[in-house]
Amino acid sequence: MAVGVEALQDLEAPPWLDAEGFRRCRQALDGKLARETWKYSPLPKVANALIRADAHRQPPAVALPPEAALHRLDESDAPPLEIDLNRYPLAGIAAARAGAGWLIDVKRTPSHPLRIPAPAPGAVAAPLLVRVAPGCRVELEQEALPRNDGSPMPQPKRGGVAAMPSPAGLRAQVLVLSLAADSEAHWAAAQFTPDVEEWSLLQAHLQRNAALTLNQQCAVGGFLRQDVNVVLGGQGARLASVGAALVRDGGRLDQQLVVEHASRGTVSRIKQHNLAAGRSRCTFNGRIHIHVGAAGADADLSNRNLALDPSAEVNTKPELEIYNDDVRCAHGATVGQLDAEALFYLLSRGLETWQAQRLLSLGFLRDGLAGPFAEPAAEAFAAHFASA
Amino acid sequence: MSLLAVDGLRADVNGKPILKNLSLRVEAGEIHAIMGPNGSGKSTLANVLAGRPGYEVTAGQVSFNDADLVGMAPEARAQAGLFLAFQYPVEIPGVSNMEFLKAAWDSHLAAQGAQPESAVGFMKRARTLAASLGLNPEFLKRGVNEGFSGGEKKRNEILQLLLLEPKLAVLDETDSGLDIDALQTVAAGVNRFRSADNGVLLITHYQRLLNHIVPDQVHVLSEGRIVASGDRHLAEKLEAEGYAWLSE
Ligand SMILES: Nc1ncnc2c1ncn2[C@@H]1O[C@H](COP(=O)(O)OP(=O)(O)OP(=O)(O)O)[C@@H](O)[C@H]1O
Ligand SMILES: [Mg+2]
Repeated sequence: MAVGVEALQDLEAPPWLDAEGFRRCRQALDGKLARETWKYSPLPKVANALIRADAHRQPPAVALPPEAALHRLDESDAPPLEIDLNRYPLAGIAAARAGAGWLIDVKRTPSHPLRIPAPAPGAVAAPLLVRVAPGCRVELEQEALPRNDGSPMPQPKRGGVAAMPSPAGLRAQVLVLSLAADSEAHWAAAQFTPDVEEWSLLQAHLQRNAALTLNQQCAVGGFLRQDVNVVLGGQGARLASVGAALVRDGGRLDQQLVVEHASRGTVSRIKQHNLAAGRSRCTFNGRIHIHVGAAGADADLSNRNLALDPSAEVNTKPELEIYNDDVRCAHGATVGQLDAEALFYLLSRGLETWQAQRLLSLGFLRDGLAGPFAEPAAEAFAAHFASA
Repeated sequence: MSLLAVDGLRADVNGKPILKNLSLRVEAGEIHAIMGPNGSGKSTLANVLAGRPGYEVTAGQVSFNDADLVGMAPEARAQAGLFLAFQYPVEIPGVSNMEFLKAAWDSHLAAQGAQPESAVGFMKRARTLAASLGLNPEFLKRGVNEGFSGGEKKRNEILQLLLLEPKLAVLDETDSGLDIDALQTVAAGVNRFRSADNGVLLITHYQRLLNHIVPDQVHVLSEGRIVASGDRHLAEKLEAEGYAWLSE
C-alpha cells in the first residue's frame, strides 16, 4: 500500500506515544486490520490528506461552563489516551500533526450542553479528551445543520461519485470520552454540510454503571468516514446509539463501529438507519465483541439500509465475537428497497407513487432520529426529498 | 348504473386461481355483507378491487361508477372513491398518522382539482373524528399504526374512511379482534359513513356485526364464487348452522 511514507517519516511521535509506539502505528497503516476495516474507503488517500492538512493546534473553541475546565493534555494529570493504534493508526497521525491535544475536565454536571465545533475543512484538530467525573452528566453537541429557511438542501458541488476525499478538503477529529463510574454522557452530532469530507474517531471508555448515548445523524454528499469505538469497561456500563444517515447522489459514507463488552452486565443498544440514494456508497460495519469476563452482557444491534437506486451500493457486515456463554446478543443487518406492503397501503389511500416513496424514505430516516437534533434533522431530510 | 359491478371475475394470486367466476352488484345506498369460510377468497376480492400488486384479473369485468377498474393504478382507484379497510393494517414507523392522513386527503383534493385544505382545519377535523372513534389525539402524532393494538388499528381504518369520504368502502374483517365497545364504535362509524350516495362491502365472519350494521344483502363466498345470496336472515342461518349445508 502506497501510504505517503516519506511524509510520515518527517512526523514526530505525539507526546503521549513513545517512538516505538509511533513506529507500530505507522506500520499498522499497512497492516491486515487496516486492510479489513478500510475495505470500502481509501486509507492511503485519507492518511495522505491528514499528513497535509492544516494542523489545528489551538484549544477547541468551546464555551466552557464553570463546571468544566480546559487543560493541555500533556500538562494534565490524565493518563495517556487509550486508543488502539493498531486499529486506528490515523489517530496517531492526527496527534503527530496537531499536538498532544486537550482535556475538558467535567468535574460537576454542567447546566448547558457543551458545543464542540467541528474542525474547518482541510484541518486536522488536536485530539480532545472529555473526562466526566463520577456521577456527573454531560451533554456534548456538534452541529452543522442547514439553515432552517425552508430552502432545499444545497446540492453537493461535485458531480458524480465522490471517489475519494480531495486532498485539500479533508477534516479530521479525534474525540475521546472517558466516563467515570455512574457518569453519563450524551453525544449528539448533526452533519449536514453538503460536501463535507471528514474522517473522525469517537473513542469512549465507560466505567462501572456509566451510560453513553450517541445520536449521530447526517446527510453525506461528499466523503464521511466515522470510526466509533466504545469500550464498556465497567460492570453495568451501557451504550445506547440511534442514528440515521442519508447518503446522497455522489456521496460516500463509511461507518465502522466497534463495541466492546469488557465487563459483567454491560448493555448495548444500537440502531442505525441508512438510506443510499442515487449513485452512492454506504457502508456500515457493526462489530460486537464480548470479552471473556463479560457474563450477562446484553447486546442488540440493528442496521437497516435502504437502497433507493439500483446504482446505490450498500455494504453492511455484522460481526460478532463472543467469548462468553452467558450473554444475550442480537445482531440484524438488512438491505432492501421500500417496503411493498407499506407502499401499497399509501397508494390505496390515494397518494401518488412518488409521494408514497418520499414519505416512506423520510419515515425510514426519521425512525433513526433521536436526541436534541432529531427535529431539525427531520426537517433537513424533508428538505432533501422536497428538492429531489 | 351500479356503483360496483363485478361480472364473471376470475383472478389469480401469484399465478394461483382464487376467484372463479364471481359476479356481484352494489348499488349506491346499499350495504352488502360477504361471508364465507377461511380461504374462500374474501380478502382476495377486496385486494383485487383495490388493485394490490400480485393479484391478476384473468377474466371478467369490474366497473366502478362506470369506470373500468381493471388496469387502473391503486392510487387512481382510491382517488376515484374506492376505499379498502385492510384486514391487517400496515405499520409505518417514522411517518406520523396525521401527516399520512393529510397527504391522503390532499391527494384526493388534488385529483379533483380542488385547493388543499388548510393544515389547521384538517387537523381539527381529524382530531374531532378520532375522538368520536374513541382514539386519543395522541394516536395522530404516533407513527402510522405503529404499536397500535389490533382494535386501535381497526379504529384507525374507520377514521380514514370517515376522513376520505369514499364512494365505496370495502371493509375486510374490520370487526375481527374488537371488544364489544370497540365493535359498537366501529359500527357507529360505518353507519355514520353510510348514505344514499355511497356503498359498503362488508367482509365479516360474524353475524353480531350485522346486528349493528344492517346489510341489504348477504352473500356467501366459497372457493372463489358466490354460492348463496339473501337478506340478513341468511347470516343468522349461517351463524346457527355453519357453511356445511351450502355444499350439500
Ligand atoms: N400471496 C398469496 N400466494 C398464494 N396464495 C395466496 C396468496 N394470498 C392468498 N392466497 C390464497 O388464496 C386463498 C384465498 O385467500 P383469502 O385471503 O382471499 O381468503 P379469505 O376468504 O379472506 O380468508 P380469511 O377468512 O381467513 O381471511 C387462500 O387459499 C390463500 O392461501
Ligand atoms: Mg381475509
